[in-house]
Amino acid sequence: MRLLLGCAAIAASVAFSAEGPSMAAGKVELKSADVLAFGPAGILFVGDTVSATLTAIDTGDKTPNKNPGQIELKAINEKIAAVLGTAADQISIADVAVNPVSRRVYLSVARGRGAQAVPLVMTTDASGKISELSLDNVKHAKVALVDAPSAEAKNARGQSPRMETITDIGYAEGRVFVAGLSNEEFASSLRSFPYPFKAADKGAGIEIFHGAHGRFETNAPVRTFVPYKVANTPHLLAAYTCTPLVTIPLSELKPGNKVKGKTIAELGNRNRPLDMIVYTKGGKDFILMANSSRGVMKLPTANLDSYSAIVAQTEKQGVPYETIAELKDVQQLDKYDDKSAILLQTTGGSMDLRTIALP
Amino acid sequence: MKQVVSFIALALSALAADVAVRREGSAFRAAGLPATPPEGGWPAVFRVHVGDASMPPVMGTYAVDGADVIFKPRFAIPPDVACRAIAAAKEFRFAAAVRERKSTTHVAQVYPTAPEIPANQLKFYLEFSAPMEKGQAWERIRLLNAEGKVVELAFLEIEQELWDRETKRLTLLFDPGRIKRGVMPRDQVGSALIAGQAYTLQVDRDYRDAEGNPLTQEFRREFRVRVEDREPVEPSKWSFQLPDAGTRAPLRVAFGEPLDAALATRLIGIDGMSGALTLTANETTLVFTPDTNWESREYKLLVDTVLEDLAGNRVGRPFDVDTFNRITVRTNRGVVTVPFRVR
Repeated sequence: MRLLLGCAAIAASVAFSAEGPSMAAGKVELKSADVLAFGPAGILFVGDTVSATLTAIDTGDKTPNKNPGQIELKAINEKIAAVLGTAADQISIADVAVNPVSRRVYLSVARGRGAQAVPLVMTTDASGKISELSLDNVKHAKVALVDAPSAEAKNARGQSPRMETITDIGYAEGRVFVAGLSNEEFASSLRSFPYPFKAADKGAGIEIFHGAHGRFETNAPVRTFVPYKVANTPHLLAAYTCTPLVTIPLSELKPGNKVKGKTIAELGNRNRPLDMIVYTKGGKDFILMANSSRGVMKLPTANLDSYSAIVAQTEKQGVPYETIAELKDVQQLDKYDDKSAILLQTTGGSMDLRTIALP
Repeated sequence: MKQVVSFIALALSALAADVAVRREGSAFRAAGLPATPPEGGWPAVFRVHVGDASMPPVMGTYAVDGADVIFKPRFAIPPDVACRAIAAAKEFRFAAAVRERKSTTHVAQVYPTAPEIPANQLKFYLEFSAPMEKGQAWERIRLLNAEGKVVELAFLEIEQELWDRETKRLTLLFDPGRIKRGVMPRDQVGSALIAGQAYTLQVDRDYRDAEGNPLTQEFRREFRVRVEDREPVEPSKWSFQLPDAGTRAPLRVAFGEPLDAALATRLIGIDGMSGALTLTANETTLVFTPDTNWESREYKLLVDTVLEDLAGNRVGRPFDVDTFNRITVRTNRGVVTVPFRVR
């Protein structure tokens, strides 16, 4: 627990500053609800790809719950569809996040599948009751993720078809990190915003190379990441679209910096990282990573700093991992409490939300 | 206790006899319910469901209007979704309207348009003629080799799908792990595309548009693959076909290779000039037609360094940088200026 950033431990210490001066009550205007992440004291970050914004919402949900109870919600997509009065195929669930204080589960949902889809944040808990997080009049603050290049600015041709899909959001050490994948340029985009947000903050664009293999570097996009301490120093553990797992010291993630991450593991072919969490079991820390086709991977994090960067080609090296094969088709993953994780799992066309004991 | 139960049941059935529910726009109006909500609130006696009995009721708000109770769903239930209202234990079914399926949408264009692409091609842009429904790309789009077999995991199958705002243009990224040199996927299974081979991009007819209708027809685009391109984009080597001063004749700039269609349209401009910029000759040439006459003076072509060619090589930097044979690495995003003089 002491090593986990952005969770309850930190929440208490910065609770008073969570509602910064920029948090005004009003209607939260979202065009899409994609990635969710919790910050301190019930602050929910919502990544909105379509409007290219990051919104911090004060959920007011900050009553600690030490025994939240297990969750087993079969066909949650169908249940959400029923609640929202539509067909199950018109519902998509983009992300699942657990409020680390109340253990309430938040889901980013789209009702409809076209450009007219309505974004919603739904919540549930061990009772199985599904509710909507009302966005009509809540304290919130918003920052734009737009980073218009200079040539484009002088060459306006109406609305740009460019969009940057938000692939992950994480909060650590008073900063929110946003990873994105553009539908045009390949260059990686990792932005960092101090939280509480400051006015007109566009976020620091950070260029990250993973100099994995001695010779070739790309600034490939980060797929998913988790804040974590390596040798007592805050890092991001980031998984790339092309499978390397990389550690990046937070101290290097500064505006305009060219950062070189250290590749500590390669997770192999046919393996697309989807989501990651860090947890403690038996006094040791582990990373649990959901993948597109290899089940869920469990990696010990002890002495992550002692692994030398992977420099040779081909071989599977670096941090050893075990694959928990029975956890198949896990789409989303988050830490539920100290002993369990929550999974959004596809089973035969429908989606189940369930808690499992941390392996 | 028994007596009480039977009394309630009697009361309910007496009520149910007079209860009626009708749809009123997106709302449901129930007549014959008690004037005040029961202890459990209105949902205890009046609720609307889509789906079967195991599913929770539709979310919404209640209002009393005279002797009636009105339930307004949070969202209007679409006409093609069946629903039922339960009022005082009596069920009222509302059938789904039959939807007319009519195909009008098709794949309008695929970029790059060139019949030949490099083996390290980074992306395709798939443009549809109308907005599409999200969430189908990885089952409806595939890459076939010359034998007609599916090339497995050719594309980066990210569940969010890289659409534009209108959901008309989909970006297909080839798996960068199979392009970037020295990573496991490429070392284990090689590139998705092999130089000298022919491939077909296939889009199923069943790909649904935003109205839920399939495409007018299946889409197929064949292309050949040439050797990898690992050269950066070099605007200083582009050739200019200059217009005459005093005219609005187009400026033509030939890149010497096809560039990424979306980026070339967005990231190239002429300093201080507005006009129409299009790409031609399979995205190898830019045509800029100004809104005002050219003057006899020097102009600047501005190129954002994020501009990519088909293989993701950027201005001044290839897709992956060989750190031993050092190439000048341009790390910060900037703008390269290429001056030209109109006479």
